[in-house]
Amino acid sequence: MIVSRREKIIGRTILVVLMLVTVLPFVSLFVTALHESGSYPQGIEWPETPHWENFVLAFQSADMFRLLGSSILIELGVVPAAVLLATLAGFGLGHLKPVGARAVFIVFILGLTLPFEGIITPLYFQIRDLGILNTRWAIILPLIGLFMPFAVTWMRANFATIPRELSEAARVDGASTWHLFWRIHIPLSVPAISSLAILLFLWTWNQFLLAIVLVADPAQRTMAGALGAFQGRYGTDIPLLCAGSLLILTPTLIVFLLFQRKFVSALLQGSLKG
Amino acid sequence: MSRIRKLRRRALVVSGVAFSAAIGLAACAPPGSDGADDASAPLTGDPTCGEDAVVLNAYFETGFPLPSALADEFTRQYPNVTFDIREDQFAVITQNAPRTLQDSPPDLIRLPQMSELASDGLLLDLDPYAEAFGWDAWPASQLEQMRVDEDGSRGDGPLYAMGLGYSMTGVFYNKELGEQIGMAEPPATLEEFDGYLAAARDAGITPIAQFNGGATGGLAFPLQALMASYGDTAAVNDWIFQKPGADIDTPENLAAAEHLAGWIDEGYFADDVNSMDYSQMMSRFVNGESLFMFNGDWESGNLDTQMPGGAGFFLMPPLETGGTIGAMSAPATYGIAATAEHAECAAFFLNWAATDEQARTIEVEIGGSHPMGPADGFMPEVAEGSVTAATLAAGATISEANGAMDFIANATGSIYAQSWTPNLQKLVAGEQTPEGLLESVQADYESQVGD
Amino acid sequence: MPAPTSAVPAPGLGGDARPRRPSSGSRARSRHRRLGGDLLAYALVAPAALFYAFFVLRPIVTSAQYSFYDWNGVSTATWVGFDNYVAVLSEPKLVGAILNAFELILYFSIVPVGLALVAANLIRSIAASRLATAARTVLFIPQVIPLVAAGIIWSWQLSSDGLVNQILRAVGLDAVTRAWLGDFGTALPAVGVIGAWVQVGLCLVLILSGMTRIDASLYEAARLDGAGPVREFFSITLPGVRQEIAICVTVTVISALASFDIIYVATQGGPGNRTLVPGLQIFYLAFFEREIGTASAFSIVLMALVIAVVLPLQRLLRGRES
Repeated sequence: MIVSRREKIIGRTILVVLMLVTVLPFVSLFVTALHESGSYPQGIEWPETPHWENFVLAFQSADMFRLLGSSILIELGVVPAAVLLATLAGFGLGHLKPVGARAVFIVFILGLTLPFEGIITPLYFQIRDLGILNTRWAIILPLIGLFMPFAVTWMRANFATIPRELSEAARVDGASTWHLFWRIHIPLSVPAISSLAILLFLWTWNQFLLAIVLVADPAQRTMAGALGAFQGRYGTDIPLLCAGSLLILTPTLIVFLLFQRKFVSALLQGSLKG
Repeated sequence: MSRIRKLRRRALVVSGVAFSAAIGLAACAPPGSDGADDASAPLTGDPTCGEDAVVLNAYFETGFPLPSALADEFTRQYPNVTFDIREDQFAVITQNAPRTLQDSPPDLIRLPQMSELASDGLLLDLDPYAEAFGWDAWPASQLEQMRVDEDGSRGDGPLYAMGLGYSMTGVFYNKELGEQIGMAEPPATLEEFDGYLAAARDAGITPIAQFNGGATGGLAFPLQALMASYGDTAAVNDWIFQKPGADIDTPENLAAAEHLAGWIDEGYFADDVNSMDYSQMMSRFVNGESLFMFNGDWESGNLDTQMPGGAGFFLMPPLETGGTIGAMSAPATYGIAATAEHAECAAFFLNWAATDEQARTIEVEIGGSHPMGPADGFMPEVAEGSVTAATLAAGATISEANGAMDFIANATGSIYAQSWTPNLQKLVAGEQTPEGLLESVQADYESQVGD
Repeated sequence: MPAPTSAVPAPGLGGDARPRRPSSGSRARSRHRRLGGDLLAYALVAPAALFYAFFVLRPIVTSAQYSFYDWNGVSTATWVGFDNYVAVLSEPKLVGAILNAFELILYFSIVPVGLALVAANLIRSIAASRLATAARTVLFIPQVIPLVAAGIIWSWQLSSDGLVNQILRAVGLDAVTRAWLGDFGTALPAVGVIGAWVQVGLCLVLILSGMTRIDASLYEAARLDGAGPVREFFSITLPGVRQEIAICVTVTVISALASFDIIYVATQGGPGNRTLVPGLQIFYLAFFEREIGTASAFSIVLMALVIAVVLPLQRLLRGRES
């Protein structure tokens, strides 16, 4: 391809500007977090004495260990279950293709564009009547249901692309459906399953609306919900809020940077396939 | 073939069951039809916290150290009682109160406007405790604002809350900046006040620090202060207490709103008043960026610490010298959920807060407010010249003048966030007129009270 | 980003080949297996379907039911017919929320997709460089953090003492500075900036990945024909990334119509309802004003709106491909 020098320079400049716009707010957040608790700093301005203790203070005020623990428990409740259910259903709809599969699939697709706000009101009363309000189940169970449209669509698409010849050959050899599923389809689906797990992990971690409506105690919420509570409580103390927000963001950022390739490709596929 | 079709159909039915079984559960009866029972056990003997370990589940307001300080002191005196405290900003509590009271009932909760909460049966009727503890013997005016009758109007009926201290509002000022512009003593009339505001602006000082951002329209403070200058506080109270036929859109209140709009036009508030939050206001006042601040005595202790000797307080001046004065003044209300687990102990705590010497000292020194309780109750010594002394004295003045009003933001549960706040923000932006402000609030009020 | 809303139905996705008949065995056996297979398949689908039905479909049905009542969540509800819908579609505040959501489409969708398209076109030539790889990671960070965090971060940057004003003052634009989220004229665009910041990275990376798939020889040929960069963009690049654009537009439009998190933390709908959106209004109505009926009617309207906007978009942008 012919690439002129000028094009390269323009391209690089644009990239750098975009990266700056993305990163500067985080830098500002960090610098502000070092100012004296309760003060109103100006934009990015290095404090005379950095107040590193704000992070300790925020860590304690936010009860970070409990928050992390709670988010992990919720993840453990949601992700494996949702992935398993979606895999089974995806195999059923995408490979076995029973009569009426298409109709069932369309019902699932209907849920794809659903804004959570659309059902939050009745969901509140439903969760209350189940007696699980203010427990982690109030987030876990509905989330599994809410993830189904996407997760089933995703896994169905995956199983539908596995060459039928493989399955037919196995059938001829007398393999049972179970064998077919476990020995042939699942090994071929590992990339799809792991991408799905990553997406569901992220969406659970960042789930806000369900957390603030269905669970009052921040220590029983997701990270995003806890951040909301932290803002509700310390929102008037800018440096402390910045320190707390950074702390709450840190686990996500670490996980993202560790698995960034996988994350990016999962998110790209997620929007492409969906 | 027909057999296959039948079987296929059955397969479809199986799949359909999965969906429809669950959906079908959404029955067609109107929601909420199963009647709630709230049989509260009658009191036997003197209410206490007992001897067993009790954890009081409390929901307090962020930024106000008083209730937690009282809780600590209470635990010191009654070691079997500890507190599990959840805190939020007032606006958040306002949003959460109905849900929280109904579905995760706290033993103690900082109450926003309470008439709807009370008429929906979410709050405990405290009259049995009032009788048992002898609250009836206190000055009746203390408890009036916390009584709600069957129709939801306040001032009469069962008692649904208690105060942790009795708050007073008015105008704080920075003494140093005051001297700079030649304000030797607080203004005696509204006209004098206007003069000082203009002088401050001309001297390059933002005259008034006031919050008006987010969900909390803080211009309600100066507006209500102006209402007291222009008109009668009783009429404003009738409106707040939802007396039949009450109207906020009166000629006096319109004059007050116009006066406020005049202040906005004159540039007496900060440019970013519409995004300023409460603590930003405090920070600017304490740092000497503004001469005046409309606020309440809950900040007295704080100001005495942060700017010792540097802050003063005065009541909103009347139109003419010696005219009637008034102030927004109300108990900081705390209630007990109708289904609270430890209602008795919570009531015992509320009584203790009004009668115990230590508790009353904490209320004055940390809360800056006058404690509730008997007229001859214990009062701690207060340093002369302090803001705390000034607000306590102002409280006595208002009490004598019978000029106390509840907060106009407390007329209905959502009138503040959904009506006063947006309209006051629009007034600042020039998108609402003083007439429109009052009309719009009155219309919202009627639709909410009508329910 | 809110989970399933980011996913978009692709009409005819995986457009299934009809199930094939087993190639061997007697008819009876095949019938038998077919039936057994169907039952097994439905047994596998059932758990997912049950969760979906109970926690998604059932609330939708209940929402529809509540929307015909006047109910405060506590006492017995009264039937009011279509009154709640009339309120949603006539009360200025509620209609205003819907209009605000549509205005947000401009900032959440059109701006980031347009920006991403222009930027992607300009950096196409260095898409494989190390800088571009690093940028891919950095630009994705806003996608990974909770929207609440984006809201908190930016409400600080946009405040009167924030970074945005600091930069403006530094370049001598003091007159422009203001409390962006507290000003009637700028509050909604300012919220839009937050959304655009979140979305632009995803759109850029998506579109860029689409561009790398375009056959390089097309560009060579175009250059030999003497086509300028503008013609090149419209006749080669744009059609080549059509599918990616469709995805970006759909995802971001849904995020605009169903916005909640960012606004909840940044403005709470203020000043003066200027940034009130349906999601926030439903939350206020249901849990604060306790107008469960109106909240439910609004929910139904919101769901209908999203479908009404997304389906035609899908047709328009992707239709011819399938």
